[in-house]
Amino acid sequence: MGMPGEPSARNARAFLTRSQNPDGGWGYRPGSPSATEPTGAALVALGPDPEAAPAVERARRWLEAAQRPDGGWGLSREDPESHWMTAWGILGLARLNPHAPEVARGVRWLIELPVIRIEAAELTAEVSRTLRIDPRLRGWPWRPGEASWVEPTALALLALDAASVVETHRDRIAEAVGYLVDRRCVGGGWNFGNPFMLGANLPPRPHPTAWALLALRILSPQAIRPEDVTALRAEMYRDGGAMALALGQLALTAIGIEEPEARERLQRQQAPDGSWESSPYVTALSALALNGGWPWAPRG
Amino acid sequence: MGAPRLTRRAFLRLLLLAGIGGGLAFAERRTQPAGLRQFLTWLLRGWRRRVEPPATVALGASLSYDEALLRDALMALWDQAGMPDVAGKRVLVKPNLIEWIEGRPLVTAPEVVGAILDVLRARGAAEIVVGEGPGFRRDAGPVVEHSGLAAVLARRGIPFIDLNYDDPRPVPARDGWFPGQPRLWLPRHVVEADLIVSAAKLKTHHWAGVTLSLKNLFGVVPGIRYGWPKNMLHVNGLTPSILGLRQSMPPVVSVIDGIVGMEGDGPLFGTPVPHGVLLVGADPLAVDVIGARLMGFEPEEIEHLHWGIWAGVGQGVHIEVRGASLEALGRRYQRPPK
Repeated sequence: MGMPGEPSARNARAFLTRSQNPDGGWGYRPGSPSATEPTGAALVALGPDPEAAPAVERARRWLEAAQRPDGGWGLSREDPESHWMTAWGILGLARLNPHAPEVARGVRWLIELPVIRIEAAELTAEVSRTLRIDPRLRGWPWRPGEASWVEPTALALLALDAASVVETHRDRIAEAVGYLVDRRCVGGGWNFGNPFMLGANLPPRPHPTAWALLALRILSPQAIRPEDVTALRAEMYRDGGAMALALGQLALTAIGIEEPEARERLQRQQAPDGSWESSPYVTALSALALNGGWPWAPRG
Repeated sequence: MGAPRLTRRAFLRLLLLAGIGGGLAFAERRTQPAGLRQFLTWLLRGWRRRVEPPATVALGASLSYDEALLRDALMALWDQAGMPDVAGKRVLVKPNLIEWIEGRPLVTAPEVVGAILDVLRARGAAEIVVGEGPGFRRDAGPVVEHSGLAAVLARRGIPFIDLNYDDPRPVPARDGWFPGQPRLWLPRHVVEADLIVSAAKLKTHHWAGVTLSLKNLFGVVPGIRYGWPKNMLHVNGLTPSILGLRQSMPPVVSVIDGIVGMEGDGPLFGTPVPHGVLLVGADPLAVDVIGARLMGFEPEEIEHLHWGIWAGVGQGVHIEVRGASLEALGRRYQRPPK
């Protein structure tokens, strides 16, 4: 007897296989140029599925070829800059082999990435007043040399976990976990970065909240508060889009919460071709959400 | 033969050359990161604007969101403003869909977008799409749905493009506003458009002072390349990013929805202002100068307008307002928090 989401997930996997580009990667739409994020997400969703082995192998080769000489990944092979997509390059390749040399080079890039950290007392006081954050804490930025944001921080943490290097980089990871805890919105959940701006509390948003909860679930589960879960539930339904529902379902499953309504709403949004919104990226997340959740690396 | 002697004249010449060289080196340093050459280009272009003909901005008043009335009004304003011919062109309409918060007039009203689409169709545009890359939404779909824009587009058979995911391509970063970044990655539909209609909202903005048709261009920056909420633009500086985007894109014209504006803590948490105005023009800087004045700001108070006028990014000095009277419609919007 299969899982309740299995037919949906099977159709989703079939869509992913069909929408793979001849070069082995996936774009954000079928036929779009291959990009790191959808390719990494599709690899995470397909994993070592024997039925998808040829597609997985071609995707692995695409990701390896797209890795830049500095060890990071950009948007595509043509992108001359490594940035936040490095986490997706690692996640995709580590799903197949966490100890691959390409994964190790990606990890090194992430760890050595320069991130803005404000330590001067007068500046930290001003930033704390305006944004109500501790600017001394580093997460990860979208691009090198910029400020930290919730989603790239959570993705980097998940990538380091997938690469089985959590113990090796314990201090850096602890700082990033501290960053996530510091950026929590009043009332729970996460906005994109700061929780407050110029006199107003910012509302939580479903996507960064789900990513933050996934990262905290594996690296600091005691930091998760009930109000974070309440915020996620409220925001994922208020948003109502497939990406929010899939990510929300992934985070709730990771925390051990059954959410049949999210599952049903997600299944209802699946198109006859097996996709969600004709997007390989959203389809990969939805397939994961409906079929077992986030594939955690084996512990130990 | 004796050693050549330095004459008094030669010495003075050397002194003059050293002075010029030193002055140039000093000016070059003082104008970094743009550099002296770029600085002079801006300066001369700004001076040239002062002797060029005025830009035209058409101003409509006492308007509501009634679709039929709005379409007729926009058609008339389009002609009054002398907008460019769109026949046979690929046009991208870029509304402000920054975020959706129930009950707050954050976004360009879908009725205004619908009226723009009708005008473009009536004037023979070959291909029309509506696109936006929200800064505070990983997925634009729910904003399009909740705001009512999805229904407006469906009735007209016009596609919506989430510019955050629209296969970005590198284009030259023009006019020196992105120092150290020779290229910008912009969405395919932006790069391929013959004309972009910046369909903005009349709002205050806590960082930029006001957000009108120039600031609205931030939404074309693709999230998949630069992240959410487009931090690169803040790192580069708001003013150079606003002006640099304008200069690196295909031709941009402006329509501003001020039928209900926003004052105070914009662009998200401000207070609605029933203002009943609509602005149309082919020069975004001129339209924004008039938009700022309608809100009670002088352009000198708004950094990107001030520098845009100084550098001649558009015509900000001589502006002819047609249609309704600017003086009669001017209000004093509550200032955003600092």
